[in-house]
Amino acid sequence: MMPRTLIFLLLCLPLLCRAEATTTTWGPTQLMQDLAQVKIAKATFTERKFLSVLNRPLESSGTLLFQSPGHLEKHTLKPKAESLVLDQGVLTIDIPARNVKRTLVLQEYPAVWAFVESIRSTLAGDLPTLERFYKIVLDGDAARWKLRLLPLDSGTRAVMREIRISGRGDRVDSIETFESNGDHASMDVLEDAP
Amino acid sequence: MSCKRHGTLGVWLALLALCLFIISRSVFNTDMSAFLPRSPTPTQQLLVEQLRDGVVSRLILVGVEGAPAPVLARISKAMAARLRGDSELVAVNNGERVGLEKDFGLLWRNRYVLSDAVTPQRFTAQGLHDSLSAYLDLLGTPMSALAQRVLPDDPSGELLHLLDQMEGQAHPAMRDEVWFSRDGTRAMLLVQTRDSGSDIDAQERVMQHIQTAFDAAAQPLQVSGARLQMTGPGVFAVQSRASIRDDAWRLSLIATLLVASMLLLLYRSPRVLALGLLPVASGALAGVAAVSVGFGSVHGLTLGFGVTLIGEGVDYAIYLFTQIEQHGTPQNTLQRIWPTLRLGVLTSICGFSAMLFSGFTGLAQLGLFSIAGLVAAVGTTRWVLPNLLPAGFSVHASPRLGAAVMSVVRHAPRARLALAVLVLAALSLLFVKRDGLWNDSLGSMSPLARESQLLDAQLRNDMGVPDVRYMLILHADDQESVLRQGEEIAVILRGQVQAGALDGFDVPLLPSHRAQLARLAALPDAASARENLEQVLRDLPFRSTTFATFPQQIALAKQQAPLDRAALQGGNLGLRLDSSLLQRGSGWVLMLPLRGVRDAERIGHDIRGATRSPFILLDMKRESEQMFHDYRREASRYALFGALAIVALLFVSLRSVRRVFEVCLPLVAAVIIITAGLMLTGHALSIFHLIGLLLVVAVGSNYALFFDRRCASPQDRERTVTSLLFANASTVLGFGLLSFSQSPVLNALGSTVAAGAVLSLIFSAILIDGRDA
Repeated sequence: MMPRTLIFLLLCLPLLCRAEATTTTWGPTQLMQDLAQVKIAKATFTERKFLSVLNRPLESSGTLLFQSPGHLEKHTLKPKAESLVLDQGVLTIDIPARNVKRTLVLQEYPAVWAFVESIRSTLAGDLPTLERFYKIVLDGDAARWKLRLLPLDSGTRAVMREIRISGRGDRVDSIETFESNGDHASMDVLEDAP
Repeated sequence: MSCKRHGTLGVWLALLALCLFIISRSVFNTDMSAFLPRSPTPTQQLLVEQLRDGVVSRLILVGVEGAPAPVLARISKAMAARLRGDSELVAVNNGERVGLEKDFGLLWRNRYVLSDAVTPQRFTAQGLHDSLSAYLDLLGTPMSALAQRVLPDDPSGELLHLLDQMEGQAHPAMRDEVWFSRDGTRAMLLVQTRDSGSDIDAQERVMQHIQTAFDAAAQPLQVSGARLQMTGPGVFAVQSRASIRDDAWRLSLIATLLVASMLLLLYRSPRVLALGLLPVASGALAGVAAVSVGFGSVHGLTLGFGVTLIGEGVDYAIYLFTQIEQHGTPQNTLQRIWPTLRLGVLTSICGFSAMLFSGFTGLAQLGLFSIAGLVAAVGTTRWVLPNLLPAGFSVHASPRLGAAVMSVVRHAPRARLALAVLVLAALSLLFVKRDGLWNDSLGSMSPLARESQLLDAQLRNDMGVPDVRYMLILHADDQESVLRQGEEIAVILRGQVQAGALDGFDVPLLPSHRAQLARLAALPDAASARENLEQVLRDLPFRSTTFATFPQQIALAKQQAPLDRAALQGGNLGLRLDSSLLQRGSGWVLMLPLRGVRDAERIGHDIRGATRSPFILLDMKRESEQMFHDYRREASRYALFGALAIVALLFVSLRSVRRVFEVCLPLVAAVIIITAGLMLTGHALSIFHLIGLLLVVAVGSNYALFFDRRCASPQDRERTVTSLLFANASTVLGFGLLSFSQSPVLNALGSTVAAGAVLSLIFSAILIDGRDA
């Protein structure tokens, strides 16, 4: 009896090890699952944009609100009040000081759409959508990760070279964008304690 | 005798041949002309033109549903690709970015003449400071890439201004690069036909092309559940023609079979059965021929309904055939019943002549058709049928039936009190609900089934295209003047949009020559452009190299020649221009569709106060309701005259107040109770109910007159009543079946007449005292 049981256990050992390995392998799927757990998040941001048409960086700061899966708000408070609201694929840009309100159906503006999805899909943990627009390269581990998004569509590539999103656990810390013309922007995100 | 007989038949055949000859040379049409007034006001004229030929009439909304979104998107793309090559379509849009580059390029190249923001102030240091600050705001948003692309060559922001002005138009949701309903279950396409919506044959062809494109797109994907839906004014026209045609044919066929079976049982002779149809057939030929001669053309509607209206002609043969006594001859029978029959026909003619005077072409044609048809039918019954009946023919209805019917008739007067109570109750109901008696909405006139109307509302909602209800219409002798007027009024309207009186309006892209020249003159030369820019860049963070080529560019643009209409062709923008700027007669018309109008009165008032340009603010909904309201009122008025004429006719013929009263009473009671019944079942009266009531009076008056007729013997009375019963049964079968039609029009007509015929018969039995020997 004894040897048999032992043999059985020995035979099972590799299987058990593999099972163990599967649960601990951390990758885009696992990261997205973690991110998808966050249903609502509030944060403050500071952003710096370096644009070739400008001779100094554009700096701004404000608040972010995300409600999974499709609602995202960015309220810039400084230097000028301005709000961006994404809901169900429609982006509303509101600049009260100029009395400007623009509504964009994102699918009509592929480049804008791709950019907006890089953030929305990441926050929502929506891997299929993300993979539709970008080649994904993930560095780091669950505790400290960096997601590099490389646009697949040539039209989008003409505008955007790469987006880097880094974070810790299920939180996003910063978003950096590198445009094809050499412009780049970085946004630091400080999430409010839940 | 035989000679006279042959002579009669010869005349009849010659008349029929004449009718056939006229019909063979007749023009038949199916356009909207039947629904239009004969002498419209200018606004009605515009409305009618819009409904008939306007761009709105040429739009077909297409929905594809019943499969997963990616599949629907593929079908949509394949359909659009195929339909874009269709010469009968001028535009096919499904949200794909096809042809937009052309429009975009057009806007970009001509931005300085197209943008109404171009003024000399626009290019001063202050003006450029404003526009560049606006750019700066935009650079912080996801629109930054677009902004950066246009910024160097367009620092005053003309392209963005033009794009902003086009905002607010249809914005359906998108999935997989094509338009979808908000819930993602239906892919949407918008198609504009080359031919007008009132060209029903053309619309039907286009619908077939769309169906073929759908089949070709869906088949390779092997999706069984995918469905195609279409809606739009042209589709409605096709559907209603088909449904009236199908329903009228199908239901008429069933009705004919039923009535024929009943009569065959009664007559027991196929030959007599066939003879019984001669009056109606002759009547129909005479009716078509008369309308063709009287109006120059025959409308499809007249053909469809006309035969129904002279269905009374079937009764004539029944009255004759079923009242021939055993061993009697048709001639003897006719001698007895002819005065009554003649009076019945005259009564019907009085009723229908009301329609003859209608300003509604369709109604007038129907009136003439019925009058000519009934005269021919009764003539055939009187002079032709007796000569063709087999010798010794008489009908042997079951004696038990006769006895039972007579027993009911004898006891009928006992119900008078109950009937009086019922009529009073109905009258008080009508009095209470007198405000909601009439339904003048377009929906009630629409021959469409309710489901089609709902589908249309849903697709429009998905597409984000609300019904175009308000339109501002300008008119001038030449294109330049009408465009100038448009520019003047656009300024006023912009103020109205700010004040919240409306959401927006569509302006034609083409500016007047004068405005274009003024804009070109407003552009700075290279030197002052450079100087002003330099000044602005001192306090804005833009790199000065960004705008290096701008001064030369604007100087070049200043040399540009003004655009004409041809320069804008080739894209969606040109198409929109063509649909809003039209040459009409000797002048030009400019149409500005208004969106989200909240206060039409104020808009009209303010424009009148600010400009002397003549304009028409067309409210399509109110105007069409007003038009139908006018028809209906007119029709009611003529119906009233018709009723008075009937009473006068009865006085002259019957020469007794009491008898006239007795003959009229059952008809009045039937009309009152039918109307009350319609109200109770939630039907407000439309013009078609009115026609139905007119028919009730026409058919019912025959019943009342036969009840009123003095009979020589109880057998004669029994035969008379039995023949009324059979005539009534054939009417109820015919019209009762129409009430199963999906088409509200046929339905209204069928249920009103079937119920009215039964009630007139019953009420005649209850209210008319026999004056038999």
